[in-house]
Amino acid sequence: MKKCADYLQELSDYLDGQLDPQLCAEIEKHVGECTNCKLMFDSLKMTVKLCRESGQCEELPAEFAQRLNQAVKDHWIRKFGKA
Amino acid sequence: MDERKLITQAQAGDFTAFQSLVEPHQKRLFALAKRMTGNEQDAQDIVQDTLLKAIDKLETFRAESSFGTWLYSIVLNAGRLHIVHQKRQNMTPIEDLLDGATHQHDSHHLREWRDPHSVMEASEIRRFISEAVDELPAEYSVPFVLRYEDELSIKEIADLLKLSEAATKSRVLRARLFLREKLDSILKIEDSSEKVR
Repeated sequence: MKKCADYLQELSDYLDGQLDPQLCAEIEKHVGECTNCKLMFDSLKMTVKLCRESGQCEELPAEFAQRLNQAVKDHWIRKFGKA
Repeated sequence: MDERKLITQAQAGDFTAFQSLVEPHQKRLFALAKRMTGNEQDAQDIVQDTLLKAIDKLETFRAESSFGTWLYSIVLNAGRLHIVHQKRQNMTPIEDLLDGATHQHDSHHLREWRDPHSVMEASEIRRFISEAVDELPAEYSVPFVLRYEDELSIKEIADLLKLSEAATKSRVLRARLFLREKLDSILKIEDSSEKVR
């Protein structure tokens, strides 16, 4: 019989939508019956949600953006002869 | 405009088409390079090298992946070389970071979480998570960020990092568990009748 720890990788795959329907049903049944797994499931789900929300990138530093554009343009001209 | 059309134009020497291909990915490339090196100056060098290499190798791009994924592969190679050359001192093994609590959770009583936004402002949550991700070794944080911030599939990440899909999944899961535990420290609803650990 599976232990809660055995469900951990499957919980993660389930949350990512990567489990086949039969295993999904098994997970849902277990999570419905096990308080700890339900809490783990909810908190893992929230963790990813918060990480996705926090994943907005900062702007490139202005001085770097300028230098980068110039370096890219110069390199392009070296290769193609024009920009 | 269609990415394939832009690629064809760029390969024929159209600089504006190249800029249109690269511009949407620049911030993410920089964030990823920063994540790998832990250093803004090195990240700038890596991003610049990446774009110059992309120009050099433009003809070799066969559109088997998206242009963005191709750029990621170049930045990851550059980042890997950087890590090899300047192997971080005092790198903490993930086992120490996880401290065994989350992967044996059946022996613990987990706590319900409060609404994160009732505990911290959104900007504080962002900072907290960013700092927590920074604590992870790059071998864990990079797959995690590629999965949940850049929304790449496990297969794409495995291909980029030259890992098996199983190893990629495992690293993503362990990063997720570590971050869950970090968040647990501020979000769990305390129960005075029971000691967690």
